[in-house]
Amino acid sequence: MDILVCILLFSGLFFLTAGSIGILRFPDFYSRLHPAGKLDTLGTLLALLGLALFNLQHFSLGALLTSLKIMLIIIFVFVASPTATHAIVDAGVRAGLAPWTKGEKRR
Amino acid sequence: MKIIGLIITIITGAFLVYAAADFPAWADPNSPASTYLSPYFIENSMKDTSVPNFVTSLLADYRGFDTMFETTVIFTAGLVCFILLRISGGKEPETSHYRHVLTGVTVTLKKGHKIPESEDFERIDDLWTPPDLIIKTGCRLMIPFIQLFGLYVIAHGHSSPGGGFQGGVILGASIILLAISHDLRTALEKMREKVVAILCPIGVSIYAGTGALCLLLGVNFLDYSALASVLHVDPIAARSHGIFMVEIGVGIAVMTTMIWIYNNISSAGKYNQGL
Repeated sequence: MDILVCILLFSGLFFLTAGSIGILRFPDFYSRLHPAGKLDTLGTLLALLGLALFNLQHFSLGALLTSLKIMLIIIFVFVASPTATHAIVDAGVRAGLAPWTKGEKRR
Repeated sequence: MKIIGLIITIITGAFLVYAAADFPAWADPNSPASTYLSPYFIENSMKDTSVPNFVTSLLADYRGFDTMFETTVIFTAGLVCFILLRISGGKEPETSHYRHVLTGVTVTLKKGHKIPESEDFERIDDLWTPPDLIIKTGCRLMIPFIQLFGLYVIAHGHSSPGGGFQGGVILGASIILLAISHDLRTALEKMREKVVAILCPIGVSIYAGTGALCLLLGVNFLDYSALASVLHVDPIAARSHGIFMVEIGVGIAVMTTMIWIYNNISSAGKYNQGL
């Protein structure tokens, strides 16, 4: 059980770190939203799943309820984060921001 | 003039720094606040009010007066936004836009003209963008659960982090999310201006009314133990119930103030179209 929790937490941490590096390294608005939307969602999901499992180690009704609440947060993040990213990209396209192409300067 | 202002600012700042030097050190265990007040609240909150979350009991019971006037300040903020921004009188705009839903044709009407009586036309904003299915569906999916969570936060202020202020903000944000993802008109259909304007003072009155009820029952203002005779519970449980009544009032006031301020600012007081 401990090993599973560790694997989940560390993979979540890995994706969150990769997402942060991606936000800093990618060249323009749209490509920066790519790690922000995808990797942060996945990292949060894995880390929270690890916490929910960790919480169930000493099984009781209270612990089960807390884990259920964490699962509800996971569902909420799973719906909200991609929708928010989509809304931001949508606003960028409507405002007329052109995507970055190869050879241009990063902005 | 600017130099006088600068001098006054520097003098005030110097006084503040001078006064701050007398404060006890940060997190000093020997400071008066940590030696008498905090331990008292931590130890006696459960005994006095039967509320496990002593932040809530502190906020709504021990210093209930302060929180009552905080609520009043929030109400005043909403009221000031309304008075400053709201443009009263049904002045029609010069042109208004309608969209035929089936064909996607946009019709611009000058003042005084009317569209044919039909369900197919919908009123649209000046800066209209095509509806986005993903955003609309995502928000429609989330808003009921956000509101449910807001009610949960208000009701569980006793035993977990939360309370009237936080729950009210969550409830207000759900309506603002509706206004952002759809448009202001949809949000106004769900929460009309009059309802908002009436509910906001009602929230404050629930708080003050609970205090006045205690006064009528013969004890001090906001001393909830007097509610025991009305609610048929023992005085300590009555304090817990009194805190809950007050939290509901705070929640209503905060929720409606959020919506009120958003509506007035986003439509510049005209209420015809939002962001």
